[in-house]
Amino acid sequence: MKVFLVSVIAAVALAVAASFLLNENQKFAYEAYATSGARVSHPGSNLVGPQWSGNAGGAEHKSHGS
Amino acid sequence: MARVSGLVRTGIVALSLWAAGALAPSSAQMTKDGLNPTGANPTANSVNEEFLFKQEPKIGGRVSIPDQKSANLIQPQGREYRAFREDYLPWIGGIAVLGILGLLATFFLLRGRIPLDDPGPDTGKKILRFNSFERFAHWMTATCFIILSLSGLNYIFGKRLLMPLIGPEAFGALAQWAKYAHLYLAWPFMLGIAIMLVVWVRDNIPEKLDWEWIKAGGGLVGRGHPHARRFNAGQKVVFWMVVGFGAAMSVTGLVMMFPFSVTDINGMQVTQVIHSLIGVVFIAGILAHIYIGSIGMEGAYDAMGSGKVDLGWAKSHHDLWVEEQQAKTASGPQVGKRPVSPHQVPAE
Repeated sequence: MKVFLVSVIAAVALAVAASFLLNENQKFAYEAYATSGARVSHPGSNLVGPQWSGNAGGAEHKSHGS
Repeated sequence: MARVSGLVRTGIVALSLWAAGALAPSSAQMTKDGLNPTGANPTANSVNEEFLFKQEPKIGGRVSIPDQKSANLIQPQGREYRAFREDYLPWIGGIAVLGILGLLATFFLLRGRIPLDDPGPDTGKKILRFNSFERFAHWMTATCFIILSLSGLNYIFGKRLLMPLIGPEAFGALAQWAKYAHLYLAWPFMLGIAIMLVVWVRDNIPEKLDWEWIKAGGGLVGRGHPHARRFNAGQKVVFWMVVGFGAAMSVTGLVMMFPFSVTDINGMQVTQVIHSLIGVVFIAGILAHIYIGSIGMEGAYDAMGSGKVDLGWAKSHHDLWVEEQQAKTASGPQVGKRPVSPHQVPAE
């Protein structure tokens, strides 16, 4: 039973470590595909807004939401 | 007379005009079917879908952003992939998983639990079958496999079976966490596969003895147990299945985890087809492994549970391995320098 518990803890620990490493090397589309010649809007200032609610302001949405 | 001839000429002209109007098609009739009134087809030489597909397997345009994949307009293979994903795969997966469960249930009803042999002089003594590190690698891989299987099956069946039960909101949250688990637990799973390969490959090389074991039914059918070393032919099949399928799932999984890094859209779809097909067969195979390692055979679970098995069981199922271990023990203990209890036979 002890070996089983250690193996489960190790699996979870490795998974958490993998999640951090993978997220470190991941970019949002607006970061990855923006160049000096092509600007991809930040999700906070595009047409749909960060919550895909149609509210492009973002901050206003937060004040309504909270 | 002149008046009569004038009337006749007028009548002939009128008749001619009527005949011309009746026989000739109207302009409205000419364009009803879309043809140009002049008889020419203005789009005869224009570019169409069929023409473009003769040049390339897919139709694309031009975009100014760096993501050139967004220029892809039509990719007909995507329809075949969608048909596989939505129509065929659920049937294949359902038949594979439910089919093996049905077979195992039938086998259990016919054969029952394979019992320990009659008590002999060695019954009650223990022999170490798997050390702590081996059990650690097995259980880490097994735990990850179960979560990967359930979250993988959720990709296929979740929206069909689970969402109607728990509702779209709960299913959305569950599916998102299942996706995280699938991506992140894949790493300890891959590590576990690599460790098991290194630790057990030496004992899983096929040999002539395996064929004898298979011909004798492996002790699953009939009575008696054929000779076997540390792993019998059935266990070797499971080992190579796990290593082979595990490697294939790892490679295809990594290709999907880093999309478009090594292949294009067609390759991504083919990769997912391979990943899902191997996945459902892998699950079916492991269900059989779980069966024989738990309820299917008395005494088998102890090998991975405590690591120690009954010596009588070991002599029945892995007689040549026990002889090898006892020969080693005769020249010195294999498990560290810890004292050996009188009821425990050190094996490794």
